[in-house]
Amino acid sequence: MGLREDLERFKDVGETRRQDLSEFISYGDLGGSNPDRVQIPIKIVDLPEFAYDKRSMGGVGQGQGGKPEPGQPVGPPEPGDGDEDGEPGEEGADHEYYEMDPEEFAEALDDELGLDLEPKGKRVIEEIEGDFTDITRTGPRGTLDFETLFKRGLKRKLAMDFDEDYVREGLKVDGATPRDVYEWARSQNIPVSMSWIETAAQEIPADELGTWESFEAVEANLDREPTIRRLRREGLKEIPFRRQDERFRYPEIIEKKQKNVVVVNIRDVSGSMRETKRELVERTLTPLDWYLTGKYDNAEFHYIAHDAEAWEVERSEFFGIRSGGGTRISSAYELAAEILESYPFNEWNRYVFAAGDSENSSNDTTDAVIPLMEEIDANLHAYVETQPGGAAINATHAEELERHFGGGDNVAVTRVSDPEDVMDAIYSILSTEASDDE
Amino acid sequence: MKDERQLARKTATALEEPVDRARELAIRLGLDPYPVNYWIVDHDEMNELIAYGGFQRRYPHWRWGMAYDRQQKQDQFGMGKAFEIVNNDNPSHAFLQESNSMADQKAVITHVEAHADFFANNAWFGLYSDRGEVGEPDAAAMLERHAGAIDDYMNDPEIDRTEVERIIDAVLCLEDTIDQHRTLTDERGDDDRDLDDIADRLDDLGLSEDVRQHVFTDEWLDSREDGLEDPSLENPELDLLAYLRDHGMAYDDDRDKAVERESWATDVVDRLREEAYYFAAQKMTKVMNEGWAAYWESLMMGDERFAGDDEFLTYADHQARVLGSPGLNPYKLGKQLWEHVENTANRAEVVDRLLRIEGVTWRNFHDAIDFEAVEAALEPDPLVAGLTANDLDELTARVEAGDERFDPEGVAAAQAGEVDLDRYPWFALTYEGLAERHYSLAKRQYRRFVESISREALERRARYMFDDDRYASIEAALEDIPYTAGWETMRDVRESHNDITFIDSFLTPEFVDSNNYFTYEYSQAAGEYRVASVDAADVKKKLLLQFTNFGKPTIAVYDGNFDNRGELLLGHQYNGVALDEGQAKAVLERVFELWGRPVNLMTVRVEYDDHELEVARRRRQEPEGTEVGVRLRYDGESVTEHDLPPGLTEAIEATDVDYDTKPDDWLA
Repeated sequence: MGLREDLERFKDVGETRRQDLSEFISYGDLGGSNPDRVQIPIKIVDLPEFAYDKRSMGGVGQGQGGKPEPGQPVGPPEPGDGDEDGEPGEEGADHEYYEMDPEEFAEALDDELGLDLEPKGKRVIEEIEGDFTDITRTGPRGTLDFETLFKRGLKRKLAMDFDEDYVREGLKVDGATPRDVYEWARSQNIPVSMSWIETAAQEIPADELGTWESFEAVEANLDREPTIRRLRREGLKEIPFRRQDERFRYPEIIEKKQKNVVVVNIRDVSGSMRETKRELVERTLTPLDWYLTGKYDNAEFHYIAHDAEAWEVERSEFFGIRSGGGTRISSAYELAAEILESYPFNEWNRYVFAAGDSENSSNDTTDAVIPLMEEIDANLHAYVETQPGGAAINATHAEELERHFGGGDNVAVTRVSDPEDVMDAIYSILSTEASDDE
Repeated sequence: MKDERQLARKTATALEEPVDRARELAIRLGLDPYPVNYWIVDHDEMNELIAYGGFQRRYPHWRWGMAYDRQQKQDQFGMGKAFEIVNNDNPSHAFLQESNSMADQKAVITHVEAHADFFANNAWFGLYSDRGEVGEPDAAAMLERHAGAIDDYMNDPEIDRTEVERIIDAVLCLEDTIDQHRTLTDERGDDDRDLDDIADRLDDLGLSEDVRQHVFTDEWLDSREDGLEDPSLENPELDLLAYLRDHGMAYDDDRDKAVERESWATDVVDRLREEAYYFAAQKMTKVMNEGWAAYWESLMMGDERFAGDDEFLTYADHQARVLGSPGLNPYKLGKQLWEHVENTANRAEVVDRLLRIEGVTWRNFHDAIDFEAVEAALEPDPLVAGLTANDLDELTARVEAGDERFDPEGVAAAQAGEVDLDRYPWFALTYEGLAERHYSLAKRQYRRFVESISREALERRARYMFDDDRYASIEAALEDIPYTAGWETMRDVRESHNDITFIDSFLTPEFVDSNNYFTYEYSQAAGEYRVASVDAADVKKKLLLQFTNFGKPTIAVYDGNFDNRGELLLGHQYNGVALDEGQAKAVLERVFELWGRPVNLMTVRVEYDDHELEVARRRRQEPEGTEVGVRLRYDGESVTEHDLPPGLTEAIEATDVDYDTKPDDWLA
């Protein structure tokens, strides 16, 4: 059916027509996923058209229960307002979404950023069964490789086959014994057995004996028919299947290092972290979670919220919490160190991402946070500073980290002040590790 | 497989009677629909039809796949249940989903009959139905032919499939840049029959000067006459697709220059343009057409109880969902406008008679008239309004007395036991009888409609009225009231109007007021949308903006040899509403595919300088901005921006329209 093809084609085209990834990360709706089942909705860009600027156009609405007052705010216009696509019965056209799984997302983000982070396989070793490509001589009948059996049988047949009529003519040579004929045939490379010749000799009619004067006369007067032509003429008839030709398929055994990752996300939820900052943190950390989920076989996430104290939370709460207290970033690292004890660094890749507005209680950064960061083994430590509209005077955490670590040592420090910075931040975080890999 | 067919057959058998009855009822109500072929389809087939825009076969394209995918997803979540598909064709084809409830099926059938009437009788549909056997559309066959031809190109080993797709994509971006007020063949000069027609028809419509000036300008009428001329600043060409078809080239990457386009590509453009014209009629009459169908569906299903008693609740629920969806809903707006047309026409008859009562003038009308007496006088005959199978004797007597409201054949059939009048009471009634039975001003919700007429409207009606002391009493005045006046006016309107003229003529202040319509605008200062105006003129202006030219900016060809270098110059006819420039640039890249040489677009943009924004912010005012002409140029690689000289800016700027409905003090 035509539509099936159109659907296939749409899936292909969907790849190429999806919203630009960086635009999606910076401005799109990130809310459609959870760690168990990450599905990343990316708006599909439909064909463009000459259209009015939505804001410039305005519109008409209908008041529910009474006349509205001019100046009263109205929600954003509903899709389906006005005359969109014109067929009767068709509802207002919504945008189509393209769903990515995390692997695809990681790949696309690599493309976008020009990175290719190769996750390290850690020590956990596992044997898994690969394709049935290895072959053994014994095995259950169900795994019998008939193709091999047939081919071997065919080879055997070809090797054993000979022009029987030609050998029979040899038996008609005047005075030739079966032994003479056998030797003659063997000298001609004809794979015939003595017993076959003896049997055949019994069957030669007496009046045909002595038809030929000598073996030379046979050779001079008759051509041997090549096996191939005879097979073509007579057909295969039968293939000799022999037990020793049987082969059984066996799955290839692959030894694989499982790639494990544990990610600790830390977020400052103190009073100074207002809505905009909160959103910037979510925009930066969420894609990193997706990316790492896509890169590793097994990814585990922990979420730590902190003000002056730190506590572990579920992901669903993580970006929404707001508390009143002061800020002590080291509290979060203490908790992180505790959590990471169950993830030995020789088996797990570890990432510790922290985000906040760089405000910290005095001396906490140098006295407590930096030592803790040095103590916690990790592929990467990152700090994301969100300070829309410029840093406050006491917001020095990021700066102090930078001064201490100087951009190396698996520590990335980055600043996000509006959604446009998000991609750069993600790039600088991921590329810090990538460059350390080399 | 066998079981499925059986289900379809069973459904079909059960629907035979409702289909026949619905048509009889529709015709008795004064409708004149195309014949309709009903098809029973399963759920998946229905989704396919929806994806294909209501037809069974379309050319191969990923967009259908996208629509299908969406349809399936909506299905999964129980949203967007398809209620009706009917296409404009003679005979029309309508599709019923076998798994729908009987109430839904009946609703679809009544709705479909009304659409088929609209297709057959609306003049704008007529503009596109000139290709069938005898002046009738043959849409399914046309689309099928196109599907076959384009499919062949795609499978032609000589033609690169992705090239075909690129051409299709490019044309689809431009499907609204046609001249939808012309017939398909006008621009070739081989069809001049309706030029005078259109001018006449425009006169007949009695449009406001506003609309005539903005939509049907003299230039527009003139341009119909000389469709073959080259476009120019004074005489731009609106049918961009035809222009690109005839004058476009293809860009050859290897040779780095424009070359003649292959004939298959031109054929694809031509075919898709034809489809755009076909679908344009639907887009131009969406509000009217959906409203028309919703009106008659509601009358047949609800008032005439075409839904059985057991089905009525399901139906009421269905209707509430269709009409109750949020936003500006064409079904609802259309239905309300039609009801307004009906009420206004009926009221005119009533008021004209009341004004002729001795001693009643437009000045004392509201005091002198006893509206309760009016109400009583308008009440339909109880037998017409509430006849049942028990009234057979009385009905026979009325028929014998020559009462035109009763149908002799129907009554006879009921006598003979062929029809159950309890189920189909309308069988005993004629058109006149049904009009009285459903007389709008007697309905509870419109009881105060007569009384609510304004003094200005009364004065207008009274101004040229002579012989104004004809009746002695309300009863005498309303004795011979023509109950059919509303429906007759509605049928006239459905013949000649499209959405723009319909809204312009019937969206009265009274209508806007009583339905709480308002306009909204985006406030630069507040960063959100706000209610801007509840004024009827503003609401109408905004609505017209949404319906004029499919609610899209008008783009025309101004020069096919711009700068003497063979470049294409398009112009956005600026009416104060800015273009979505991001999309426009993307479209230009597609136009390049069809032109083969650099393409330009003139538009006007509003720019705000920082100082002005700052001042506006401090004073809590909306910044004014400055309108600046720009030319966007795409040369095959990138879009560049250029200043637009004042002469060209003037050419695309309409100075006398203003779609802005923001009040001066709305932020205060």
